[in-house]
Amino acid sequence: MDGNTADWKIGVDIGGTFMDFCALEARSGRVASLKVLTTPDDPGAELLEGLRLLAEREGLDPAAVSRFVHGTTVGINTIIQRKGATLALITNAGFEDVVELARLRMPDMYSLFCHRPDPLIPRDMIFGIPARLRADGRETTAPDPQAIAFAVDRARAAGAAGVIVALLHSWRDGRQEAAVKAQVETLAPDLFVFTSSEVWPVIREYERTSTAILNGYVHPRVSGYLAALERRLADQGVPARAMLTKSNGGLMTAGQGRRDCVSMLLSGTASGVIGASWLARQAGEGRILTLDIGGTSADFALIVDGEVQFGTDERIGEFPLHIPSVSVSSIGIGGGSIATVDGQGVLRVGPESAGSNPGPACYGRGGDRATVTDALAVCGWLGHSQMAYGQLRMDVDLARQAVGALAATLGRSLEDTAQAILDIAISEMFVEVEKLSSRAGVDLRDFALMPFGGGGPMLGAFLARELGMARVIAPRRPGVVSALGGLVADLRGDFIRTVFADLGVSLAAPFRALADEGRAWLAAQGHHGPADLRLSADMRYAGQSYEIEVELQPAWLDTPARMAEAFHATHRRIYDFDDTQGRIEVVNLRLSAIGAGPKPEFPAEAGTAAAATPARLVPVHMGRWRDVPLYDRADLAAGATFAGPAIVAQEDTTFAIPDGTRAAVDRHLNIHLTFEE
Amino acid sequence: MFDKMTLQVLANHARAAAENMAHTLHRTAHSAFVKETQDFTVMLMDRRGDTFAVPMELGATWYPGLTYGRAIDMVEDYRPGDVAFTNDPYSGHVATHAPDTHLWKPVFAEDEIVAWTGGHIHNTDMGGAVPASLSRSLTEIHQEGIRFPPMKLVREGVFDDQILRIMQTNVRKPALNIGDIQALVGALNTGERKVHQMIARFGKRGFVQGVAALMDQAEAQARDILRAIPDGDYRFADYADEDSDHANPCRLNLTLKIRGDEAVLDFTGSDPQLASSLNVPSGGDPRHTILLVGVYYVLYTLNPRILLNTGLTRPFTCIAPEGTVLNPVAPAAVGMRSLTCARLRSVIFGAFSQAIPDRMPAAPAGNNCIVNVMTRDERTQKTVIAAVNPVVGGGGGMPWRDGTNGSGADAAYLKNTPIEITETEVPVEFVRYGLAQDSGGAGRWRGGLATEMAFRVFAPDTRITARNRDRSFFRPWGVLGGRAAGLSDMIVNPGTPEERTLGNTDTAILQPGDVLAIRSAGGGGRGDPKLREPWRVAQDVARGYVSADAARRDYGVVPGDDAATQGLRANMATPAAHFHFGPEREGYETRWTPEAYDTLTRILASLPIHWRFFTKTEIFRRIEGEGPGAVQRAFDAVCERFPELPRAPERVEAAE
Repeated sequence: MDGNTADWKIGVDIGGTFMDFCALEARSGRVASLKVLTTPDDPGAELLEGLRLLAEREGLDPAAVSRFVHGTTVGINTIIQRKGATLALITNAGFEDVVELARLRMPDMYSLFCHRPDPLIPRDMIFGIPARLRADGRETTAPDPQAIAFAVDRARAAGAAGVIVALLHSWRDGRQEAAVKAQVETLAPDLFVFTSSEVWPVIREYERTSTAILNGYVHPRVSGYLAALERRLADQGVPARAMLTKSNGGLMTAGQGRRDCVSMLLSGTASGVIGASWLARQAGEGRILTLDIGGTSADFALIVDGEVQFGTDERIGEFPLHIPSVSVSSIGIGGGSIATVDGQGVLRVGPESAGSNPGPACYGRGGDRATVTDALAVCGWLGHSQMAYGQLRMDVDLARQAVGALAATLGRSLEDTAQAILDIAISEMFVEVEKLSSRAGVDLRDFALMPFGGGGPMLGAFLARELGMARVIAPRRPGVVSALGGLVADLRGDFIRTVFADLGVSLAAPFRALADEGRAWLAAQGHHGPADLRLSADMRYAGQSYEIEVELQPAWLDTPARMAEAFHATHRRIYDFDDTQGRIEVVNLRLSAIGAGPKPEFPAEAGTAAAATPARLVPVHMGRWRDVPLYDRADLAAGATFAGPAIVAQEDTTFAIPDGTRAAVDRHLNIHLTFEE
Repeated sequence: MFDKMTLQVLANHARAAAENMAHTLHRTAHSAFVKETQDFTVMLMDRRGDTFAVPMELGATWYPGLTYGRAIDMVEDYRPGDVAFTNDPYSGHVATHAPDTHLWKPVFAEDEIVAWTGGHIHNTDMGGAVPASLSRSLTEIHQEGIRFPPMKLVREGVFDDQILRIMQTNVRKPALNIGDIQALVGALNTGERKVHQMIARFGKRGFVQGVAALMDQAEAQARDILRAIPDGDYRFADYADEDSDHANPCRLNLTLKIRGDEAVLDFTGSDPQLASSLNVPSGGDPRHTILLVGVYYVLYTLNPRILLNTGLTRPFTCIAPEGTVLNPVAPAAVGMRSLTCARLRSVIFGAFSQAIPDRMPAAPAGNNCIVNVMTRDERTQKTVIAAVNPVVGGGGGMPWRDGTNGSGADAAYLKNTPIEITETEVPVEFVRYGLAQDSGGAGRWRGGLATEMAFRVFAPDTRITARNRDRSFFRPWGVLGGRAAGLSDMIVNPGTPEERTLGNTDTAILQPGDVLAIRSAGGGGRGDPKLREPWRVAQDVARGYVSADAARRDYGVVPGDDAATQGLRANMATPAAHFHFGPEREGYETRWTPEAYDTLTRILASLPIHWRFFTKTEIFRRIEGEGPGAVQRAFDAVCERFPELPRAPERVEAAE
């Protein structure tokens, strides 16, 4: 590309209601963002609409798009809506029920009606074959070809589109599974086959098997979707290779995503946290609680000392996900959560939600039950400007009717009832955040809260106050943080080898194998720059039933004392104690292969401190009605300062700012809110 | 008075504090018992020591209604930073067996105690006769480990080193105990800090009044539920297979009296206290949490938004006569009370099932068998002791879906261990781990299937313990036409000439190459099986949950043959009884009728406590025939053989 033409980098995030675009023109530093309503009947059409709008408004030329990154909910929706592929599972005879029994323990353990989700593969599509590996990798029974042939016949007769092969101890040696796969492919070339050891070769049969099943279950849909996407981009003349955001916060090519489907299930949520961490770094903050509120749920994540946190027990709908994923906690409270009064006259909020259709009563789409958004409107925090880029209109009278019905039941004033709905919604989130911070062992008073999504800025400052957090940072474009996250993310592939050995055996060989795998993966994504290979190991004291991940240097692999030291220190940090005499086991070696791309530069404004000028005063109820300054976000230049209470209105959200706060706008136009002591 | 409209805000803050405590303990504890099995609780208590908040996701389910008040009062002069503790089941009736160590800490505001934080951990071992301090065969509390009556463990922030040294000297895994206790103290400190934050948020008065309002709210919720249940006396009895190594059934009997918004649970007629460790030490507290665990499940199931705190115990009064299995006197052993507690829960479920048949499930499997193996690893020449999977059974058929397979209902907190992990660490090889065909009770909604697990060992004299085995004789019952479930079993070398069936035994010794198969019971069925849609039965057959024979026999269904199905079903009787117990209990109760048990209860209650279990055993040894007369004749024979027996009431008094 020559020096004079434009160079567009586009990040796109597809949610339930909107497709968000964040586009950066790298030569001029111009940033454009917009939202397009999704078109469930014609997935992909909204992409064309977005590109058309970008061309119309910003003069975008598809041929000048050098980077196209997107996140999508197509995978997770396939699971939640149970619209995935019909699959068969071939496993060891005698162990056909591993998938259904899972790890036994269930949530909601006080209920006699507690139950596990129906497995994605029903028992009659699970075929046990004589085959057995011992824990040391020795094959005591070879897979029985006749049993495999029988399973394939039955699977095809039942309409299976694919076959999952998961055999005991294939974490140790994947060759037995590979042999079964080869036979299945010979017998049925029309069926796709995934083995558990090729998807994620980790010890623990349920976790490994269920990961392979998730991969196969979404494979046809995700693959079809990505193929169509690549075709549409090509048709538009976009030269960039389409990239996909992953659950681990990194990127891969859309082509990789067509096989490696399980790693993109949390695509959008993870890139939201990546986007937030990028914004936080720009704003000079290392410790952040992110808050993303949509219509039905609120997502939280911690960024500790600039690093997003990873977990291996995230959930996909009803199922656990066992591959490395950006750790995000979720609770079913959002703008659409419905308020009710129980038999004892106590007000409750959620988990029932009006969602985006019909949505809150004030959207005027037929909803008539009071929601959190309606309570905000009744109190005067919302309803002063257009929303969602003009695609939603607010009718505060409808909100007052809906909340008024509850107020009548309670015998309380309209405003008191609305405030109570907000207080309760905030307290529900408070529980979830307290759990998150106590699990992580961090003190939130050292953190700043970063709200984003359509609803985050509306409730974020109230939640921060409840949590005793002193600071809130509201980014300039809260509606497109996930889309931005894709633009700033690196290529990232994760690899694992279970070694399960006492500390002391040489780990150089498995590490070399992992490193080769990582480099090959980066090359396949088209990355030719330096490879950042990060090594870690899951370790534990012998006798413990859980492992902790310890970051390692490759040079330590032949120095067990150094690895032991790192393990003791990590154990002490997480659990407050160590046992320097304890025998140490290495369960898994992990490697993340990271290929850093060029980072886009966002413009920064120089500014001088000056009191901001409100657009007007609006009435807001905070115990009593008060006139509160309303600022237009577009008017808030770098250096602007103002005091709470206040409202900042912008095209995609409203930032509600309580009393007792000071606000200042930084060079990147983030609003920094500080609670006064 | 706290503003009720926004009570949920305080409830959420209280719950957040409790969850915080649970995560702190779970994160920093040392033992697998706390970290993996999650055998712990934490709670916030009001100034009297009544629990007002518990976590909902971590820990065990037993103590949302626990009151520490009695134990608190046994220690004097609390100061900020103090922590008191006890593990004695007979001091204050907080601890319910010796491994459970309970701690509590005052929370001061302006020189006044406004709340307590507390909790328990199950210590891996407290010393005593056997490793882990638990065996059904133990007969007195002194064999079950060292006991500490309520006393200060931490004084103004400093651990009492003498107590720790005494504990270290007496237990088998001192480092685990001390590590877990320190972790629990950390959790109590977390809770204290969170209570202070709540006081800052709501004000001291607001906090104290709000806590009272939370209890009142739970009480009101419980009363609303009771009010919707028809008044009446609902009688139910159930049995543990064995009362001790003497192996007679242990009966628990309940009359649930619902009157308006109150309920009495009268356990009169339950067996005398046992010469085994299956006793449940309630201390006769009419609202002891351990007697009400089944009630918590019922209330939560009927209203999942109920607040779990001591308030919901207020409408309930339990009657557990002294000297019975549910209110033993010292020094009765209590270590394995969890087996009896499982049966206690099914008794409560059975009584509520009669009161509100439309809303209750059938019996869950009710045997939460914990399997341990001690063997030798030929590779390392070391002895290995390890927990293998728990073997639990399914939930009972629900009003609108089948019972959960393989666990569920009141066993949902248990977790298994991956086979790949066990096989890598322990020299055993699994042959099977899965669901047992035809083990769920037949019904309109089928009971959840049992789990079966089989593994092979490689070293001589490998010792297996399978604690809490039960339901090998008395089946989990079905309701409303649903059938009782399959029985539990334990077999060495099944299907071979060396096959040995071990019945209800909870230990086994295996030799190289032996395979041990353990099977749980299933969950009971709910509703008439012939009303189950043929497609569901066909699906169960296709999935292997139900055999073709059982489909035909129990459901009258021939998959794919509507005419045959209609023909079979036309000839099936419509069951009339509320419960179906299966042939074993029906056979047992032809002799041991309710009237026979009334006679037995009357006889035993007239004897000094230390004579009762002996006399029960001797009556069972001699009884012939059926009904109350048979019991009286057997008792006469016992008196003849043991003239020392203080038979007449006046002699009873003289003997005491």
